[in-house]
Amino acid sequence: MSEKRSYDYVLVVLKNINLLTVFYISALISYCLSGYIRENSAADFIAKINVLPVAAWKIPVIVMGLYVSLLLLLYIQNTDGRGLFIKIVLELGICFWMSYVIGFSYTGMILLILADAMRYFPKSKWKIQFAVIICMFYLLFDYNLVSIRYRMIGLETYLGYFQSDARFLMLGMKNILASLNTSIFLVYVVLLVRVQESEKERILNLNEKLNEANDELRMANLQLEEYAKESEKAAKAKERNRLAREIHDTLGHSFVGIITGIEACVALMDVAPEATKEQLKAIAEVARQGMTDVRRSVRALRPDALEKLDLENALTQMIDEIQKATSAEIDYQCTTGLNCFNEDEEDIIYRITQESITNSIRHGKAKQIQINIDREYNTLKLRVEDNGIGCNNIQKGFGLHHMEERLNMLGGELKYNGEQGFTVEARIPIRWGSEEGSVVKDD
Amino acid sequence: MGSIKNRKNMIAGFFCALLLVLSGLLYFGGYEKLNADDNVITIGVFSDSYWEVQNGYSYQILEDAIEIFEKQHPGARVEYVSGILKEDYSEWLSEQILAGRAPDLFFVLPEDFNDLAELGALKDLTRLTGGDGEFDEKRFYSSAYRYGQYNGVQYSLPYECAPKLMFLNKSILKKEGVPLPGKEWTWEDFYEICSQVTKDTDGNGMADQFGVVGYGWEEAFESNGITLFNRKGTECYLTDEGVEDALVFLERLKELNVGYNVTAKDFDLGNVVFQPMWFSEYRAYKPYPLSIKKYSGFEWECIPMPAGPDGDNISTLNTLLIAMNEHTSHEEYAWDFMKTLTCDVGIQSEIFDYSEGVSVLKEVTESEETLKLLMESSGSGNSLNLQILSDAVENAVVTVRFRNYSEAMTKADEAVNAILEGNSNIRMAQIVWNRAINQYLKEQ
Repeated sequence: MSEKRSYDYVLVVLKNINLLTVFYISALISYCLSGYIRENSAADFIAKINVLPVAAWKIPVIVMGLYVSLLLLLYIQNTDGRGLFIKIVLELGICFWMSYVIGFSYTGMILLILADAMRYFPKSKWKIQFAVIICMFYLLFDYNLVSIRYRMIGLETYLGYFQSDARFLMLGMKNILASLNTSIFLVYVVLLVRVQESEKERILNLNEKLNEANDELRMANLQLEEYAKESEKAAKAKERNRLAREIHDTLGHSFVGIITGIEACVALMDVAPEATKEQLKAIAEVARQGMTDVRRSVRALRPDALEKLDLENALTQMIDEIQKATSAEIDYQCTTGLNCFNEDEEDIIYRITQESITNSIRHGKAKQIQINIDREYNTLKLRVEDNGIGCNNIQKGFGLHHMEERLNMLGGELKYNGEQGFTVEARIPIRWGSEEGSVVKDD
Repeated sequence: MGSIKNRKNMIAGFFCALLLVLSGLLYFGGYEKLNADDNVITIGVFSDSYWEVQNGYSYQILEDAIEIFEKQHPGARVEYVSGILKEDYSEWLSEQILAGRAPDLFFVLPEDFNDLAELGALKDLTRLTGGDGEFDEKRFYSSAYRYGQYNGVQYSLPYECAPKLMFLNKSILKKEGVPLPGKEWTWEDFYEICSQVTKDTDGNGMADQFGVVGYGWEEAFESNGITLFNRKGTECYLTDEGVEDALVFLERLKELNVGYNVTAKDFDLGNVVFQPMWFSEYRAYKPYPLSIKKYSGFEWECIPMPAGPDGDNISTLNTLLIAMNEHTSHEEYAWDFMKTLTCDVGIQSEIFDYSEGVSVLKEVTESEETLKLLMESSGSGNSLNLQILSDAVENAVVTVRFRNYSEAMTKADEAVNAILEGNSNIRMAQIVWNRAINQYLKEQ
């Protein structure tokens, strides 16, 4: 912060040095010009020049006016490219005029413009161009060069008024001021570069810290993934145990009852047919009870959403949730009613949709996913298409395999294509209407 | 925060623009225009005669012109600073111009004209002369009118002029029985007369009667159709063929004098037949007792200059010009007053009354009154033929105009003198000197 202030101070010094220099030169010119008139050598002077100067008193006034307007322009803060460009062009224009009035004997104001413009450079992408333009002007603002194109009176011509030793003194003072201006400009540049360097260093430090934090985050993520895998495994084991227990508790129990009952029936059948009939009825009751238990168990395995909502709403909810959780954009189009499907069909439609979206996002890195559900005669067509990286060499993982298996059970088929994005198309024959009531629902 | 910054920027920008406008006003002279008095125009003028004669009529013509102008423009006034001598006039005018106080109109001496026109101190009159129905440039002698041009642009109007004529001592010619040369005489006629009259009359063994004095290379070049420089003053034509003829002719003339250095005093004493003179000199000397005495010993006449093989019976013109300040705030008044001075028949006639020059208007110079007036003042009717005067003005050479013309002429003078005095081959010397002068011109 203290360094930042110090280069601002140097800029102020630079402005004052320039003020002093242009005032000195314009006053000198004014003095010489009125001296020529005072000492009746105006005709000699006129013979030496090739353009008329403005009146003596006007020169310092005009130069000061122009210098103050240059300072005001420098004061205007402008950081965006076009504004900065206009500002610099105007400043250079004023500079040219001012230099012209004093016969291009001093052009150090351009360094002032450059110094001011450099403050904006870190924020501007045009900095090289601006710096080159300004430097070019600094090189081209030269009495000998400009006098080819424009008529003007050089400082030397004005100074012809003095004796040679006085003339050298005056010129020497001007040169000292000009050199002072240049060296202060250099100090300014050094300070500015130092401040900008330390700024860069600070940013570099911050970047390093950010990288460290990123690394840590990646580690934590990996751990989390491992943990998730483990917990998935644990959940699977738990589920397997539960299923085993469930099968043991329900089916095992029922089958034991049925087996024992049937064995009793075999023994009884010849002796007491009536009792056997009774026994068989009891067995049937046990089997029915077992069936009920199986159905209950199956229901417990259904997706939660389908349990609470119908298929259409469950799909919408799932898509919404995925969209919220990821950056993927999912377009869902359904042109047919989804009621009247059996639970197993609903399950499969739901699972295929879910699995495909998950695959698109996880493996395909897709940003856009298109889901279409429509009906072709007696077939329901489910198409999930994405713009992800696709897959040229498809190796059927568990997901695809599982989907295919499930669909085959319903008499449907699965097509997929990984050439442009990834497309999954499932065709499911519609049973309702023709085959009202399935085995499961019907019994 | 942003809006405060914007407001500060706006205020700074406003003051910046204001300062720029004010500086521009000062720089481009708007300040003077705002301060100027609308009804007063100023004119820069010197008190004595342009022809270096104290005739006691200083400002007479100007005063009369002002009277006419102020009558035509009620409310307008013309002011001038009196008491500036002609020798100080260039300096005075330069000072006024440098200080930004130059008068709206000013007389311009021919030697200052090139500098002032080049520097842009004079207004380009093209628009004014072209846009004014009353103004007709054909009323002027075309040579005098062209005299006010620089690089083809009309920067000034002629006020009065004087041609260079050849004066001849009729008494000697009568005595020697040589017939007077005609209007269209040539170098050969000229040389013939000179060689006939150059002789030793008192028998002391030394020639004491001569052909010509004051006839220099400039007169010879002019009458042989030579233009020594190009229009921009970047090239010298000293190697042109006509130049060699002129140099040989001058050498032959010089040889006639067999080493005697003839001076103007010999002409005054009546011992020389020819001397080129400005018409103004003739008029200046004529009416005064001194000059009557000076020339009383012989009868004389003036005729055009002799023509060279490639040229004509012509010479140069000396012209006093009037120009307008480039930054004048009273262009219309200044232009009208300029016209009064240069185009008004009454004012132009006064030149013959109060000055020694010739009016730049043909109608005035060729008028009966002028003839009468000139005859009265000269005292001898046959010494002057008005047609000769008018032709001399109309046909006069107008030299090229460029910045360092007088320096270049000095160089040329040095060259011609060196060639004439040297013993080397003239053509070789021409080439050497031409290169030297071209070198000089390129350095400028």
